[in-house]
This record gives sequence, structure tokens and C-alpha cells, in this order.
Amino acid sequence: MAGLPWRWPVLLLTGLGVAQVCVAGTAPEYRVKAAFIYKFATYIRWPPSPSGAARTTPFLIGIIGSDPFGTSLEEVVRNQTVQGRSIGIKVLTRMEDALACDVVFVADTERSNLPRILAVLRGAPVLTVSDLDDFAEQGGMIGLDTTEDNHIRFDINKAAVERAGLRASSQLLQLAHIVVEVHR
Amino acid sequence: MSSSSIGRNLGWLSIFSSSIALIAASLALLFFQLQEVKSSLVVRLETVAELIAFNIAAAVDFNDAEAAKTMLSSLKTRQAISSAGVVVNGRIFAFYSRDAAAAPRSEDLRTTSAGHRFGDRELTVYRPILSHGRPLGTLFIHAGLHDYDQTWRRFAIITGLVAIPALLIALLISQLPQRIISRPILRLASLAATVSATKDYSVRAPVVRSTAEIEQLVSTFNQMLAEIEGSRATLEQSVADRTSELAAANRELEAFSYSVSHDLRAPLRAIDGFSKAILSDYAPNLDERGVHFLERVRSGTQRMSVLIDDMLQLSKVTRRPLERSEVDLTKVAQDVADELARRNPGRQVCFAIEPDLRAAADPHLLAIVFENLLGNAWKFTGNRTEARVEVGQTSLGNEPAFFVRDNGAGFDAAYASKLFGPFQRLHDESEFEGTGIGLATVKRIITRHGGHVSAEGVEGVGATFYFTLGGKS
Repeated sequence: MAGLPWRWPVLLLTGLGVAQVCVAGTAPEYRVKAAFIYKFATYIRWPPSPSGAARTTPFLIGIIGSDPFGTSLEEVVRNQTVQGRSIGIKVLTRMEDALACDVVFVADTERSNLPRILAVLRGAPVLTVSDLDDFAEQGGMIGLDTTEDNHIRFDINKAAVERAGLRASSQLLQLAHIVVEVHR
Repeated sequence: MSSSSIGRNLGWLSIFSSSIALIAASLALLFFQLQEVKSSLVVRLETVAELIAFNIAAAVDFNDAEAAKTMLSSLKTRQAISSAGVVVNGRIFAFYSRDAAAAPRSEDLRTTSAGHRFGDRELTVYRPILSHGRPLGTLFIHAGLHDYDQTWRRFAIITGLVAIPALLIALLISQLPQRIISRPILRLASLAATVSATKDYSVRAPVVRSTAEIEQLVSTFNQMLAEIEGSRATLEQSVADRTSELAAANRELEAFSYSVSHDLRAPLRAIDGFSKAILSDYAPNLDERGVHFLERVRSGTQRMSVLIDDMLQLSKVTRRPLERSEVDLTKVAQDVADELARRNPGRQVCFAIEPDLRAAADPHLLAIVFENLLGNAWKFTGNRTEARVEVGQTSLGNEPAFFVRDNGAGFDAAYASKLFGPFQRLHDESEFEGTGIGLATVKRIITRHGGHVSAEGVEGVGATFYFTLGGKS
């Protein structure tokens, strides 16, 4: 990760967000975010699967909504493993498929669907990551956030992580901004 | 008193050895304590480094330098830690320093393996930062050696507090040999000096409580005194026994010679008397040869009579008790000289007698001494035309001595020692008449006075007789 460029120019401009994402599959911001998603997986422990067969299946990263990563996520996870499992990437078309994944990234195209998505995944051992605003406060697990000085920060909703039976390492929690779920 | 005493020597020895022991123990203690402090410093710093390296791994992994620096800044609660940093790919990723001006050093950028290094006034610990076994970078921490220095200081203070009283105690203890060893020996030495000065062998050294060797020395010394005392008593007893035996034998011998001499006189007088009677009454009946024989008999008996008289005198000289009084030797000598001149009017002898010769002696015995010595001088100067006899005072060694000197026939110095034995004669009877008892008598008288007699002479030149009178004078 250290090899990646640290400072990068801000390409996203306010108001162009949605349109921009659709075409900017190789945006540097998403290269960093792709790397973060893989690293989150290395600092999180999943509960043992009820069926032992799960071990042999690939570690699945699902993307809900329009895939913003282009090829960068694939590049990041290539030849890498999580808990001994090879890593697969899948763009989800059906809500139910999300439950078969280990990580689900919610693209910012799904803002309006977010409550439904979170409701489906609630309590399931699936790590939810998104760069939607206030994602963690709304019940997501890890929300990515770009600071004013162009650093990627992340929020963690500890309650959601624990509810799913996942364990975030203390090292990760130390770096994260811990947020409390807002019940509406 | 160039040699020092046993007690002091032992004292210094004990101080010296205890100081050495103290220093050695202190140095050993210091060495182990410093090792201990060093290793505990390393362990403590490594523990801190381990914890930081673990916690900081995610920050490095997520490239969060801010978070890494915040974590490093948590080290500010540890006073000893001066600076710390994270190196990734040979470049500083995050750095913390207590002193704002401090900067990372080149050796910190190079080191990637775990370990520690003691540098100048500081300890550096290196720890790799791992994420799931993957090395991300290296953590280094510099810590000052404050604890190490404090150990030194504390040690110096403790050593001062312990060593000085310990040496004082050693000094006190070192006085003990003086009391236990030195004093009894000195007391024994002074007792030995007293014994040797007073010859009092009845004293004993007091038995003191000391070391076994000293006690043995004292008891052996006492045993030795007892043995000397015992053997002296035996010796004195046997000397007394021998002396009285000898005295008894002497008395018997003198009584024997006295009675023999005395008893010989009667038959001698008879021989002489009847020889005289035959000569006067029967001379016509005898031829010339018979008369000559009888005269030879008479002269023989007369010589024998003189001999007996001399022997009786010698005997008497021994038997008479010695009664000392102030004697005017000049007068005694003068009287003897006058008597000699009166008896032999045909001779001219010059007497030179020193005036005012005085001594404490038996006057009667001293008269016999002068009769013999002056008589000899008179006799042996018979062939001199200018006979001269001197009487005077001199000193032999430190004692006052008197002498009688003549310029007579003298004698061969080789025979000087034989002169004073009875019946010893150095001259032929025909040359100088005499019995050979005179000088023996002189010697006996002088010996009885506790004095010495000696003679020196040169044949044909003269003789000198010296005598001292011992006693108080």
C-alpha cells in the first residue's frame, strides 16, 4: 500500500458526483478505496461458517450499485488471500446475493436504496462498506470519507459490526472514527 | 624500636584485608547491578516497542501518518524515551521527539531487524512492524540511560554510607589483636627482663585468656622458670655440699701437716742436741772425718728445722682467722727492712719505700707477706754491688695494687707461674738458700684476702712482685 501515491488531486467536483463515478472507473480515489476494502478484510475476523464447506469457497466481495473501481479492485486482490481463501469480486444484481458475500460495497448510486439494503443485511456476517455520507451512522459498518486535505478516513459503527458477529481488530479501531448509530 | 608491634601489624592486616574484601564485594555488586539495570532497561524498552509496533501496524498499513505520529506521541509519558520513529522503505514515515529540535539519524533509517544497541548515553531498540506476518517497516525508540546513571549515583551513596562505618568497625576490631596478642607478649617480655635482672626465678607470669599460642607460651615460660629454679636449688645444694666436703678435707690435711711438722721437731731437736753433745764431749775420740760428718748432720737438722718452721707458718697462715684493719704498709715494710739490715749488718741494700701506703688487711699476715717478699729481694740481690729494693703502689686492671721490685738475680719469665707453688725453687740451694715455701705462703695470704699475686722478671736483671688485697679497699 505504501507504494501507492499518497497525495492525489481532487478530481471530483461537487454536483458532478454521480455522472463522474459512472465514467471514472480508474479514479485514484477509488484505487485507494479498493486497497482499503482489501485491508479492512485483513483486520476483521469473521465468525466460523456453520457449514465447513465455506472454507473452500472464495472470499467474496460484492458490489451493490454501479461499480466505481474499474479494474483497480481486481488489481488489488489479485494473488491475495483472506484467511486462506482466494478473493472473488462480484457485482450484485439481486439483493439476496448479498447474503452470500463476505464484504459488500454499497456504491453511492444506491443512496435511496440504502435503508432496504441495510435491513436485508442486518445481523448477517457481511462487512458493509460504503462511501455514502453518514453510512455508518445509518447502520452501515464502515463508512469511507475524504477529508479536506485529501486523506481517506473511515468511520466504524462498532454496534453494527458486533451485531453481525464480526470482530474488528483493536489496531483498526484505533485508526477509525467510531460513530454511534442514529435511530430514526 | 624500628620494628612495629605484632598487634599493630595484625590490626593493619585486618583493616587491609577487610578493605580489599569490601572493595571487591562493592565492585562485584556494582557490576551485577549495572548488568541487571541494563538488561531490565532493554526488556522494558523492548516491551514498549513491541506494544507500539503492534498498535501502529494498522496506521502504517492504512498509510495514516497522523495516527502513527499520535501513537508515537503517547511515549511522552515515558520520561526516559527521547525520540521514536517509524521507517518505511528507508524513509521516515512518522517521527516523535521529546526535544523538538532532534532529527532522525541515518543509522535509524538503515536498520530493519529487531535488536538493541547501547550508544553514547542512550539505548536504541529496533522492532519490525508486521501486518499478518508481512513486514511493513521498522520502529525505533531512543531512551536515555537515566536509570543507569541513577544506579551509579545510588551505588556511590550506599557505598559511602556502608563502607565508611564498616571501615570504622574494622578499625575497632583491629584493636582486638593488640589486646589479645600484643599485651600478653609484652607483659611476658618485661617479666623475662625482670627475671634476668634480679635473678629471681620464683616469679611466674600471670595466666591470661588469649589465643591458644599465647597461653601456651605463657605456660611454657612458667614451666621453664620452674625448671631453672629447681636446677639452681639443686646446683646450690651440691656446691654447698662439695664446699663443706672440701673444707673438711682441707682442715684434716692442715691438721695433719701441722701435727706432722710439730711432732717432727722433737726428734729433730734430739738429733741436733745429741750431735752437739757428741761434738763437744767426744771430739777427741773422733777423727777429723767423723767431726765433719757430725757437722753435716747438724747443718742438715738446722735446715730441716727452718723447713718445719716455714711449713708451720704456712699452716698457721691458713688456719688463722682473717682480721682486717687499716694497715700502714709503709711502716710494716720499713720495719721488715730495718730488721733485715740489723740481722745482716755486712750488706748495703738501698730500700725505697713509698710513703703513706695504706690498705685494709690483716696486719699480722701482711707482715709475713713483706717478710717473705723483702727477704727474697734481700736474698736475691746478694750478688749486686748496688742492691736496690722498691716498695710502692700501682694498679692492676681497676684494682689498686702494691709491688716489691728488686734488681737481683731475677728469673726466667717462662717459670713465672711455677713461682708460687710450695717447694718450687728456681735457684740452686747452694746459690741462694731457701725452702721454697715463702712465695707459697705469700700467695695463700693474698688469696685469703681475696686478692691476686703475680710476678714478672728478667733473668739477671731483677724481679717485681705485684699483689692486690681485694676487699673493700
